[in-house]
Amino acid sequence: MTTGQTLLVVERLTKQYGDVVALNDVSFQITDGITGILGENGAGKSTAIKILLGLLQPTSGKATVLGQNASESVAARARVGYMPEHDCLPTLVSAAEFLTHMAEASGLPPAMARTRAADTLRHVGLFEERYRAIGGYSTGMKQRVKLGQALVHDPAFVFLDEPTAGLDPAGREEMLALIRKTHREFGISVLFSSHLMADIERTCDRIIVLQGGRLVQSGEVEHFTKETETVFIEVDYNREALVTALERRGVVVTVEHTGLTIEGAEESVYDHVRDALVEVQAPLRRMAPRRRALTELFERDSEAA
Amino acid sequence: MTSPGTVFDIGYQRYTDRREGRGRSRRAIFKDGVRGALGLGRGARAKILPWFFIGVLTAIALVMAIVAGAADRLVGPGAAERMNLPSHSDFYGIASIIMFVFAAVVGPELLCPDRRNGVINLYLVRPLTGSDYVVSRWAAFFAVMLAAAWFPQFILFLGLSGGDMAPLQYLQKHWLDVPRFLVAGTAMAAYAVTLALLAASFTTRRAYASVFLVGLFVITAPFTVGAAQEIGGKAGQWISMFNLTNIPVHVNDVIFGEVSEITEEAPARELGSAILVAWYFVWTLVPAGILWSRYRRLSP
Repeated sequence: MTTGQTLLVVERLTKQYGDVVALNDVSFQITDGITGILGENGAGKSTAIKILLGLLQPTSGKATVLGQNASESVAARARVGYMPEHDCLPTLVSAAEFLTHMAEASGLPPAMARTRAADTLRHVGLFEERYRAIGGYSTGMKQRVKLGQALVHDPAFVFLDEPTAGLDPAGREEMLALIRKTHREFGISVLFSSHLMADIERTCDRIIVLQGGRLVQSGEVEHFTKETETVFIEVDYNREALVTALERRGVVVTVEHTGLTIEGAEESVYDHVRDALVEVQAPLRRMAPRRRALTELFERDSEAA
Repeated sequence: MTSPGTVFDIGYQRYTDRREGRGRSRRAIFKDGVRGALGLGRGARAKILPWFFIGVLTAIALVMAIVAGAADRLVGPGAAERMNLPSHSDFYGIASIIMFVFAAVVGPELLCPDRRNGVINLYLVRPLTGSDYVVSRWAAFFAVMLAAAWFPQFILFLGLSGGDMAPLQYLQKHWLDVPRFLVAGTAMAAYAVTLALLAASFTTRRAYASVFLVGLFVITAPFTVGAAQEIGGKAGQWISMFNLTNIPVHVNDVIFGEVSEITEEAPARELGSAILVAWYFVWTLVPAGILWSRYRRLSP
């Protein structure tokens, strides 16, 4: 479903609050698909999203959303959706009434707004509960209403700010599945901010990593995933000789407490391991492919920087 | 035997029809404001206060109409006028305190919950500006207050004309009361709505705004009356101008060309009509400007 169409362009974006630099000369492009924006609290994720939504003026630089300057075009907001991290729901009205109102507030005629609200609530799994007051919903249901209001007007692009915040493991799984469905079945592109690497890794096509207001990394998840692939081996003895034999073959080895971690998982690595094991006569106890968490990769890169 | 039903899931449908933009967004905020102020689409508790106040205002008009009609029938034609019974010019004076309390209690409902619940964040990422939002909310509550101000006056007009021994003569003689009470009601509603929403813009808690406003209206009245009588003269007249409940009633007096029962003791009535009307505009336009500037810069 991904067409490679560029939806957002951020050029040399800087945002300062007095002496505090929230974003520092950040540039990236986002094409259609699911893009994760990753960073710890204070990394500049929310500031970037607010600038892209046209709610904050950048100190310098430019942000373009769907071909329009984000800080100048109120009309462009009719084609974007936003799910904030924090509470944003009324308590006294039903989900059906609230989504109908939000669809109208996005510019849809009243009759279409009612139809879209019912359809959207069905797609986010709240159709049966749609006439109950939102105040009585569970946290997971409220997150679904928040997602629903971001989708009800059928945006081309939706910003999700920490959509799994406060959810239990089952609720988190359901929300991640909904986010994947939002792009793959509904055709709506997603920019999904989170500080949870696992959520981003399992949901997104691309990642943007911010740290301290700076862009640390950006690229396809697949690319980073390859970088995290390793092979873990354990031998009964002759471990040091095996390390030497592997390094002689150009294999990068890290010695760990119980075994060795070998970078990369290409076929040639397995050939080198086989040859080295035979050469040093080391009895193999265990060999298994293993993945490092992306966090380790980014931590390593930021330390190097 | 019934045939088996089939459920078709046509999946997610893209919206390809017309998007009506900022105008529709403003109308949506207006409509939601009217519904919120009247408790429509909310539980029964949300309906109690607005409809209670509307009921009280209507009841006042009904009682006035019944008393005038009964006086005509018991004492004879024109009795209501000879006995100087309260009429259209007196209604807003009598009902002003009810209207202010209505505005104080219901008005903050249109602004406070949106900021308290965070719904304002969702509005500001739609094709709306902070100004669009606050102007639409103001217009929504103004429409509700206008209805609450005009409806009892129409009831009173129908009651007075229908209850008169010579209804056609009454209509010929008093038809000008209709545009007068429409204009006076507009002034009353604009003033009460602006002050109520301004107070609401400073807090996320509706109760705080309501208590502050009721306190402001209730405290300024006896304080200014006492101080004005004590000091007297021109200074007393100006102190009397700070009686917040009387400000739009003075305009009502100017429109009807007679002093109502509520303002006949107020020293401010002796000031010129232009001053009374200008004072009203100061107390309506300045708060409106502050309210607008507070929301104009708003961002989530």
